[in-house]
Amino acid sequence: MGEYKGLDHTLIALADPTRRAILARLSSGEARITDIAVAFPISLNSVSKHLRILERADLVRRRRLGREHLMALNPRPLDAMAKWITQQRALWAWRLAELEHILNKESQ
Amino acid sequence: MTAEMARVVVTHSFAAPPERVFDAFLDQQIARRFLFATSTGQMITAQIDARVGGQFCFIERRPDMGDVRHVGEYLQIERPRRLVFTFGVPQFDPRMTTVTIEIRPSAAGCDLTLTNDGVLPDYAERNHQGWSRILAGLLAAYDGVHAGGWQKD
Repeated sequence: MGEYKGLDHTLIALADPTRRAILARLSSGEARITDIAVAFPISLNSVSKHLRILERADLVRRRRLGREHLMALNPRPLDAMAKWITQQRALWAWRLAELEHILNKESQ
Repeated sequence: MTAEMARVVVTHSFAAPPERVFDAFLDQQIARRFLFATSTGQMITAQIDARVGGQFCFIERRPDMGDVRHVGEYLQIERPRRLVFTFGVPQFDPRMTTVTIEIRPSAAGCDLTLTNDGVLPDYAERNHQGWSRILAGLLAAYDGVHAGGWQKD
């Protein structure tokens, strides 16, 4: 299901500490790839790889400005993930309320 | 992965004794009416082999996605205070989650706590940070920067 695949991409993207650090860096604003790379003790190539995984999850979006690639954060997938957890909780709460309803009816 | 990861916890108070509430989860006729049910679906199969190592299978027909098969295995059956089973929907996701039901007597009847662990899959993290904490941290960070700007469409 598409919904789950999106969630998987989000989870895979968030599972790596470097990618989370990149997201944290981008939370303070748009940045050039070279500026992001400077902040981490890894190669530019490896930063690019991490960014591609973040882009696949749509957590990061790319914008070209002349020869520069500017990366910006898109927090919506995180919102979707938080919403999914909330939905799971609501579903179980509904089921337990149903059980209460059934038991009340039976004891009447 | 630490236990707190990807955990959904729901509590509910019942005006019925613990035994009655506990038995409802293992009684085919009652369980089919609420367990793994959704508000718009129709339960067409509810099979329960209520012993440790025994399996269950609930098939619900849903208007939007057809027949949804819920399967799992009972891990602990300690009437009337504790029931633990695995649970998954293989057609959507091969991974299984764990549901723990704990029932404590109360003045009015009993209080039930349901915990569904592993709601989000384990991606073998080394630093043992909980998904919920990761999420909370990231959401807070973004919220601070884009205050109110991104949560709504």
